[in-house]
Order: sequence, then structure tokens, then C-alpha cells
Amino acid sequence: MQLLCILCIWTRPGLSSPLRPICDLRVLNHFIKEAWDAEAAMRACQDACNIATNFTAPLTRVDFDDWEAMNIEEQAQEVQSGLHVLNEAISSLQASNQTDVLQSHIDASISNIASIRQVLRSLSIPEYVPPTSGGEDKEMQKVSSISELFQVHINFLRGKVHLLLANAPVCHQGVS
Amino acid sequence: MTKMRSDRLKIVFMLCLAFITIGGQHFESKVAQLLRDETEDIKCFVEVKDLTCFWEEEEERNNLHDQYTFTYSYENKNKMACVVSSLSLLGSNKTVFFCKLPKTPFFTPLDVQVFRDGRVLYSRSLNAENFWFLDPPRNLTVMTSGKEGQLNVSWLPPLLKYIDDSLIYEVRYAVEGSNMGKVEVIKVSTMLVLLGLQPYTRYKVWVRVKPDGVAYKGYWSAWTEPVLGVTQPSGTCFLMLLETKNLFLLKKLWPDIPSPEHKFPGLFTIYKGDFKEWMSQNNGSMWGRSVHVYTEELPSPLEVLSEVSLTSHGTSQREERQAVEEDKEKESERSDSGLTDRWQEPPEAYCLVEQLRALQENPESLSQSLLLQSHDTYVTLNQNSQGDDERQVDDVFEETLPLQMLFTTAGRMSLNTSHSDLGSLQQSSGSGRLSSQSSFEYPNHTWPPKGPGYAYMAVADSGVSMDYSPMSSSRIAALGRHRMYTNDYKNEIFLHKWPLSGQHTQSGSESCMGPGW
Repeated sequence: MQLLCILCIWTRPGLSSPLRPICDLRVLNHFIKEAWDAEAAMRACQDACNIATNFTAPLTRVDFDDWEAMNIEEQAQEVQSGLHVLNEAISSLQASNQTDVLQSHIDASISNIASIRQVLRSLSIPEYVPPTSGGEDKEMQKVSSISELFQVHINFLRGKVHLLLANAPVCHQGVS
Repeated sequence: MTKMRSDRLKIVFMLCLAFITIGGQHFESKVAQLLRDETEDIKCFVEVKDLTCFWEEEEERNNLHDQYTFTYSYENKNKMACVVSSLSLLGSNKTVFFCKLPKTPFFTPLDVQVFRDGRVLYSRSLNAENFWFLDPPRNLTVMTSGKEGQLNVSWLPPLLKYIDDSLIYEVRYAVEGSNMGKVEVIKVSTMLVLLGLQPYTRYKVWVRVKPDGVAYKGYWSAWTEPVLGVTQPSGTCFLMLLETKNLFLLKKLWPDIPSPEHKFPGLFTIYKGDFKEWMSQNNGSMWGRSVHVYTEELPSPLEVLSEVSLTSHGTSQREERQAVEEDKEKESERSDSGLTDRWQEPPEAYCLVEQLRALQENPESLSQSLLLQSHDTYVTLNQNSQGDDERQVDDVFEETLPLQMLFTTAGRMSLNTSHSDLGSLQQSSGSGRLSSQSSFEYPNHTWPPKGPGYAYMAVADSGVSMDYSPMSSSRIAALGRHRMYTNDYKNEIFLHKWPLSGQHTQSGSESCMGPGW
């Protein structure tokens, strides 16, 4: 809660001064734990949570060698585009008629994605740039259930987002 | 040449085998542990960056791994095959088949299957990042923290780049030899201070590691090898130990210098070291007390008389006498006793030096002899003094020798001495000339009866103190026939107290008498 309070103070609207870097991984770990809870709740939901629609979701697979070969801009674009797509997919569930428990998980996930974007901004990670017309977007996947969507959500946060924040250049300045 | 080459190949093969064995110890132990703990048919774990999946050999089979096929797929892509290998576990009769996935995909569902004869034998869906099986922490160190009841424990994390911020450790510690232990869990940090420990106690410490379960999950690693640490003793005990050690070191570096102060009560405290003043105040009591310090600085005028011939031990005695002579030369300036003439060395082994040596070699003789008493003093009253004295003058024994030989003799003392005071001897001297001589006599021999004119005072000179006490008349009679040595002590006090000492100091005679033990 203390870490969230720090995040709220830093990210409150109207704050013109630049954010101080949030390098403490416990902030992201908190969001990841809430994503675990949401995934578990959706998995238990099963039939009640099955919606006959497809969601566009980011790819979550990480090859450590390939990831290390990418520069910070490529990694940032990978994470920012994935967060953008996830946010759109989960936000589309707010309009669906879900139980209160599931609705709270959906709302928390949307809020956490916004907070993660603030953390990335504090670390001077480049913002998401939508592809221009004719340009190729990052490779995505299609998911057909809410349960599968929240699985993508947790895997994306644990994988690519965690790797990007853990190795942010701003947080490792002066360390050889 | 062929044999040499064959030997080299054998050596290389053995080295390779040893390398493989050592390198695979962790792998095999992990396989063995999962065989015990994991219930899934396909058991998987990640060591560094690659996922390994294995399964047990079915019964009724003959270890034909070629019949097995292992496939994996992810993100709805086509299945990919993996090369199957076999491993026979040491210590058990089990054989497992395993596959190590090249370029393992993380953070995405992975579908794995085992086929045999075209049919699916086992299948499983898993995320590789949930199955880390790390090696134990490295370089476990346990040190005292300098504070009571504490130990500092530190270690190094596994060599993994991305996962080191997501690890937790378990530190187990127990008193050595005890089965009861405690466990501490610590996140990320690779050091821990154990608190509340018993003082001055040996503890065993172990550490293991696993992912923290947030970004990564996995199994507990094996425990490290235990490391011993000893806590500091409690404050009181430690201070006592420290003080004892310091005192011991202090005694070793600066040993106490013996002081004769206790023999001269008040000399330093009252009279500020003024010996003359102290002597004048302690005139009467001094003669009943051991006299110290005079042997080197102020030689006594007493002569040690002996009738024992010491011809048989001339050489050794001469060596001793040569050493003594050197000391004597140093004192010649101070001495006015005329100790320049030396006795011709007696042929037999009754020189004082030999007596000393014998006593040192056989200290029991001191008690067994029943003879050596420090309080006996002998003074010879030489009736035919002139001639005998001249002869005896030649037998001078260096007074500066450590005269530790103590002896008593039974004899009769013709002098009426009530106390070991040479002055009293002087006063009570009877017929004949009282010679300021002392003699050292040894029990096994008796003095030759010199006649009624002889009186003897046994003198015991320890080299530091001289005890003078009268000798009983019965002891005089028991004195054996010995050639007597005279021993002049250049002690001006004695010179002061004994008028006749001047004659003998001029003669410079010294004697050493003693029996053969």
C-alpha cells in the first residue's frame, strides 16, 4: 500500500514535474499478484465467463537470448504495444454483464495497466507509437475466452514487462 | 609408442568421464528428487535457460529409447520433435528418458507429449518459467558478528541474469549435533544476521534457494553443505577470558622480576634504600636472619674448610673453577680479602661444584641425606693454625659460586653459642684461635677430630642468602675425616663483627669440603 501511495502521489493529474524513476520491482510485483488473482478467478469461472468473441492479445513468449539481442527501443515498443492491446481487450469486458467479483478484477486490471504505463514513463521508456498506415504492427494472437485473456494478461506482465522494468537503463546507471 | 598413445587415450577418457560425472551430479540429483516428489508422468525442470523433461522407463521394456518420441508446441504452432536420451541413475536401478528443449519458450503455455509406437504415452501443458530448479547457493560463509548471540551468514546467488531479483532463500541453523533447528526466510538479499543464539556455541548453517513465485516459480534447491560458526562468549565470560589471556601475555612479555624486598622489611619503604641507615636500625636482629646479596658485592670473610681430597675430579672441577675465576676477577677490585691465592684443586669429588652438580642431578639426596640444613654453621678453631692455614690457604674456593649445598653434621661444638651469630662465636671462643672460617660438610663423612680446640659452624650459603646457626656439639663429633676448604667471604659486615677475619681474608683461603655422595 505504501508503494501504491508513492505511485499515486507521483502520478496524480496535473503534476507537471517529471516523475522520479520507480525502480522498485515490488510495485510491478504487486500488479502481477493482482493479475494472478484475476486469472485464477477467471479460470474458475469457466462456463459463465465464456464469451463468444475473439480478443486480440499480445504474444507473451520470451526467448532470453532473443530478448537480450534487442535494444531498449525494440523492447519498449514490444511492451508498450502489448499493454495497449491488453488494455483495449480487457476494457471491452467492462460493458459485458459480469458478476461483481469478476467486474472488480476487470476494473483492477485496467487500473493496473495504467499504473504500469506511469511506471514506464518514470523510467523514460518510450511511449507506444501506433503503426502508421501501411506499417506492420507487432505480432498478436487471438484468444476466445476471458480465462485465456487473463492468462495472457498475467504472462505478459510476468515476462516482457518484468524484464523491461528489471533492466531499465535508468535504474542501472552507475552500476558496471 | 603405441602403448604410450593408448595410455594417453585412457587418461583422456578417464578425465572426460570424470568431468561428465562431476558436471552431471546436480542434474542427476534433481532428476532423482523429482522422481520422488513429482507426481506428473512427464517431469520437467529448468536449470539455466533450457527446459528438461523426463519420464521413467516403463516396466517390461528393455531400455530401448529409440521407441520413444517427444514433441512440444506453443502458440498454436506446429509440433516440434526433441531428441530423446536415457540416463541410468546411480544408487538405484531406475532408468529415465529425457529431452532438453532447445531455445525454450518462456511465459507462454507449452504442450509436451511422449509417444511410443505412434501412440501418445504421456502429455502435459506447462509454462517453463514455473519450473525453475536452481543449484544451491554458492560460497556460504558464517562469521561471528562481534556481538553476543549473533552470527553473520552470507552467500552468493545462483549464476542467472534475469532471475536474481526474484529469489527467496531459506537459512537453516542448528546447534552442532542437535536435531532441532530453525529456519529463516529472506527475500532477494544474500546475507542474514542470526539473532538470539546461545553464546559460545557451535552452529551449523545451511541455505537453499527458489524463485519467489511472483514472476518466476520453481522447486527448492538442494541445501548447501553445512558451514560451522561459533558465537562469541557471553559478556562476562568473554571479559574474563580476555583478561586471563591478557594477564597471561603480560606475564610472558614482562615477567615479574624477583625482588628481595621482603627480606629487608622497611629498607625501601621506610629508609628509601639507605642500607646503612637500615642496618643501623636493624643491628641486633640482622644476625638471626638470612643475609642476602653479599656474595657478589660484599664477599664474606668466612672460610670454608674441608679435609677432603678431590684429586679424582680435577678436570671438571678445573673447568668450573675457571668459570669461577672469571667472576672472581670481576670482584677483585672490590675485594680486599686477598682472594688471589687459590687452592690446588683437590683430587676427589668433594669440591662444592661437584656437590652442587650432584645435588642438582639428584635432588632427592637433599631430603634423603638428613643432613643438609640451612641453619647449620661451622667455624673452625684451628689449634695448629699457622701451618694448616698456609696449606689451606692454597685451597681457595671461589666464594661466588652458587653455594646451594646445604648440609648438617653431627658434632660437638666447643663453643657456647646460643645463636647463629658470628659475633657471639667470637665472644664465646675458647682456646685456640678462632678462625673466620666456615666449612661445608657432608654427611657421609665426619670431620676428623681436631681436638677440643676445634669448633665448627656449618655455613649454608645458597648463593643469595647465608644462614648462620650454631652447630650442636654432637654433630661436631660426627664430622668425618676430610680435608677442609676454606672459603673467604668478603663481607665487610663480618669483617666488622669478627676481628679475626682479617687474618683469613688476607690469606685469601677458600675451601670446599664435601663427601662423595
